[in-house]
Amino acid sequence: MIARKWLLVLALLTPGLGLILLLIGMVVYIAIAQSFGFYALRGDSAFSTEFWSEVLGRKLFSKAVRYSIYVGVWSAVLSIALAYPLAIWLRKPFPGSIGIGAILKAPLLVHGLVAAFLFINVISYNGLLNQAMQGLGIWSEPRRLQNDSNAIGVLLLQTWKNMPFALLLLAGAVQSISEDVLDAARDMGAGSWARFRKVIAPLTVSGMQAAMVIIFIGALADFTFQTTVGPTNLQSMAQLMVSFKVRGDWHSAAVVGVSLMIIALVGSAVLAVVARAVMRGRIR
Amino acid sequence: MIGINRISKSFGTFEALSEFSLDVKQGEFITLLGPSGCGKTTLLKIISGFLAPTTGTISINGEDVTNVPAESRDTALCFQSYALFPHLSVLENLEFGLKQKKIQRDERNKRVEDVATKLGLNVQLDKLPNQLSGGQQQRVSLGRALVMRPSIILFDEPLSNLDAKLRDQVRVEIRRIQQDYGLTSIYVTHDQSEALAMSDRIAVLNSGKIVQVDTPEQLYASPRTRFVADFIGGANLMTGRIVEQNASGNASIETSLGPMQANKGAADFGSEVSLSWRPERAQVGAGPYMGKIVHRAFQGQFTDLLVEGNDLSFRIQTSDDIYRVGDTIQFSLNHDDVVLLEDEA
Repeated sequence: MIARKWLLVLALLTPGLGLILLLIGMVVYIAIAQSFGFYALRGDSAFSTEFWSEVLGRKLFSKAVRYSIYVGVWSAVLSIALAYPLAIWLRKPFPGSIGIGAILKAPLLVHGLVAAFLFINVISYNGLLNQAMQGLGIWSEPRRLQNDSNAIGVLLLQTWKNMPFALLLLAGAVQSISEDVLDAARDMGAGSWARFRKVIAPLTVSGMQAAMVIIFIGALADFTFQTTVGPTNLQSMAQLMVSFKVRGDWHSAAVVGVSLMIIALVGSAVLAVVARAVMRGRIR
Repeated sequence: MIGINRISKSFGTFEALSEFSLDVKQGEFITLLGPSGCGKTTLLKIISGFLAPTTGTISINGEDVTNVPAESRDTALCFQSYALFPHLSVLENLEFGLKQKKIQRDERNKRVEDVATKLGLNVQLDKLPNQLSGGQQQRVSLGRALVMRPSIILFDEPLSNLDAKLRDQVRVEIRRIQQDYGLTSIYVTHDQSEALAMSDRIAVLNSGKIVQVDTPEQLYASPRTRFVADFIGGANLMTGRIVEQNASGNASIETSLGPMQANKGAADFGSEVSLSWRPERAQVGAGPYMGKIVHRAFQGQFTDLLVEGNDLSFRIQTSDDIYRVGDTIQFSLNHDDVVLLEDEA
């Protein structure tokens, strides 16, 4: 009976979980194998660590790692920092709140590439922002805003694109907090900030962690925004991986790909732990 | 101590409170009693600062606090849902308000220990709220309010989620602690037995207005209106006409059940009046009134009889468990037990 029950569970899980594990397993296996010299598309396939030592020794790689982590962390932090007050504001329905919520979630429906091109139209040398600033007499001549070296454009786009997702997760978490609990905190003398820090944040930490990890992983592996509005003196890891692949160096591309997966995994864990610790008040 | 001065509150076109005024004395335990939707919780939220009145003022110790935010008022509210912080231990829940008010650690520890001991929470201090029973959670909620030592403690139907036995127990505890600490308390409930058992005074509300404010004894013995008579203790209500009045102030009233004597009050000779009498005040055995028992419910200490007579239906409670359905019963009423009611309008 028990064996039959387990067979049923396995049969139910296999189509979904099995497919996911199969695809992930294949990708991970091929990437790791390729990074160690196997599955060569040209030349001999043999075990080698030379691709790892070569790629890890390059300044281009370490700069790409630092840059990707920078974009990943800041995109996640900014998206969540903007989503929290909106989630709290929209917690209780008010006239127009459904419309506002829908508008805020609109970026989820716009493809990243489309958003990037729209953004270029706004910030380009002859774009809307430059025209507006000059028209208002604030700037005397147009400024170069595109492809800025601090990747502000990339962060803006990442935040614009990911904030609605964070809002979706946080709104659900915030709405699940009972009105009485917040009133009780207020009754005990907690102002708005204290209510957020001591009640709302700890009670929504799971939603926040999920949003942070998912946004971080997406932004860490960013390619679209980086290639359209990112700085020209830096490459993201995804960009570096593609550039290796374009040159036909699949093994180096695989090294970058595996590194990206490791950083995503470790970075997500670190972010989740730090976020929980901060929200729970363990780190002051 | 607390001055509630002509408070009105509207939600759109719905008027939850209308020109509500009440003074509560220092150390007094007053209960706001009324049916669901009568405005009692709205009033409590206005006093605690969670809602702003449409018109009127609230004063505490002579100071107008109408525009003082909830977090700055010297009040503490015990919620119907307990509203404990689920992520904090019992100890952290108790300390929450004290930390907000930046009370020194020594004083904080002293107050928490004192309240935890009084409420029997010492062994629960490290537990999370979801590890406690309903009664224990209620005690934590009460303790969290008590450690603040507020000028006023407000209770929003705090016993409604407890079972009957626990309710009786916590009811006694609340009253004892309120008296021990000398707390001025406003207690909201729709349970008349809770109100009668606990209060120094009861304010009966209906449709956002005060109907009567009195001591429990006075309220029970001398309800002013049909609503109060019916809501408190379920009195028998009937109408009649004053046909005679004597020099001592008593009136003879002609009713469907027969002639009755009552203290005249403000009613005029010949006028139509409403009157009430309590089911347990009927002296069963002999008397001018009679009816047939149509339903009988044994309640332990007494038997509740539903009686019909002269096209009237009324209840009688008697300690004699000798009556059965179908029996004809005779009874009398003392004139002090028949109360003339004021016009509701």
